[in-house]
Amino acid sequence: MAKLAVRGLKMLGAVALAGAAVAAQADTLLLGTYPDKMFTVDEATGTVKQRIQLESGLPVSMRFSNDRKLIYVTTITTNGVVVLDAATRKIVNQFSLNTPTVRYRFNGGVPDPTGRYFYTQLIRFDKKPDRYEVSKPLYAVIDLTEKKIVRTAEIDDEDNTMRALRPTFMLSPDGKTLYLFREKVLLVDTATLKVVQRFDIAKPETTGMENVTYSGGVGALQNPNEFVSLFNASDPYVHNKVFGLAKFDLTRRTFSFTPMGPIPTDMTGLEITPDGKDGYAVITQGTLGNKRCEIWHIAMASAKLVDKAEFHCRSRFTFGMSGSGKKLYIYGASYDIEVYDAKSLKHEKTWDLGADATMAGMLILKS
Amino acid sequence: MKHLKPINKKAQTIEASIAPIEDVVALQQSTPLPHVPMGCSLSFSPGWEVDAGGGTAGLCQPVERDIYDCYVTCFWPVQVPDHVNYSPDWASNCAAATKDWRNLDLVFP
Repeated sequence: MAKLAVRGLKMLGAVALAGAAVAAQADTLLLGTYPDKMFTVDEATGTVKQRIQLESGLPVSMRFSNDRKLIYVTTITTNGVVVLDAATRKIVNQFSLNTPTVRYRFNGGVPDPTGRYFYTQLIRFDKKPDRYEVSKPLYAVIDLTEKKIVRTAEIDDEDNTMRALRPTFMLSPDGKTLYLFREKVLLVDTATLKVVQRFDIAKPETTGMENVTYSGGVGALQNPNEFVSLFNASDPYVHNKVFGLAKFDLTRRTFSFTPMGPIPTDMTGLEITPDGKDGYAVITQGTLGNKRCEIWHIAMASAKLVDKAEFHCRSRFTFGMSGSGKKLYIYGASYDIEVYDAKSLKHEKTWDLGADATMAGMLILKS
Repeated sequence: MKHLKPINKKAQTIEASIAPIEDVVALQQSTPLPHVPMGCSLSFSPGWEVDAGGGTAGLCQPVERDIYDCYVTCFWPVQVPDHVNYSPDWASNCAAATKDWRNLDLVFP
């Protein structure tokens, strides 16, 4: 089962300012590892530089703040939130939500622009003398200063994304609207935690498509106001399924879609180079023992497939890209990272981390 | 799994969730899943783990690579402890399951 990759944003300006001397400096990878650590890895050598211990256990998700100064990690062992300083890699805040009689289950979320609140969805388990009481799925607001949940609201049955894999969480730049991307796009008012709009993009006027499913993660994000990803769609007449490139404007609440081709069994990506010109995704054809995997190279300007190469894929893996955009990574369900050249799409080397990577994905920390 | 009968609400829910298996499947629809209860439940055949199709062809190779996802998320039926509820320290001495699986803790019910 492929897991969604999480990759850091690339700033075009940073590339221009870098210069030859700085460009020679490699970026640093940040990964979650078993049983309870974050690793930083030198992209030039593949060596582990730091092993950051987390009090609340196993990391299962992470993401940058919009200004890229902080990193928010969620853990599953005792359901915690950890905040790291992106520059120093030091933990600036960490706590667990679980108590001896109350447990939570959540995975991922998004911080608000002030950095005080963290929006997510969760399930609460209350231990009673003779039973556990399990809540309905809830929208929740975690106060990172008070280190507790301060607000919750039940998720409508029709919007219950807990049944699916974790959704992608986004927040509008003004912090007033929470976006959840999955089979449909939900817009939640952060003041009331009520759904104010459902993008039933089953039949968008501009495309004539229905049954749209976003497949990317926040790694495909190009700026805080835009969500860019591959997604699947089918027309309303003969239900022919296609995939395409989608761009969602978080302020204007609109999206565009460029169909690209018939959908494969599964897709992972999209990873976009710092100059925004090239995108990479992994597609899977077949299932289980018949599974075949290919890396696809997509020209972003024309949304055309320009190259592809089959590779020997794992049963499940995560797809990532280096900070320079010149290397592609296959990792997860193992202790190593397989490095591919983005130009030739050929395997170059394998790095041994000495610890299994978790499903938290990967962030790029710029030097 | 037809020899098993559900006797509590959870088991009945699982059975209800897998009951509607269609005989006729359109070309673009996904293949129906077999009768494999999802979650960390009993499934001793064909091995300690089965894939989503009820076999072993889709498992990680070697299978130790998959220990932790089963341990943490219970995605497939598997005979490993449960990280979230009962055995959070099972893998505390084992960072790389493929290399260090002998360091996994023993768990007694």
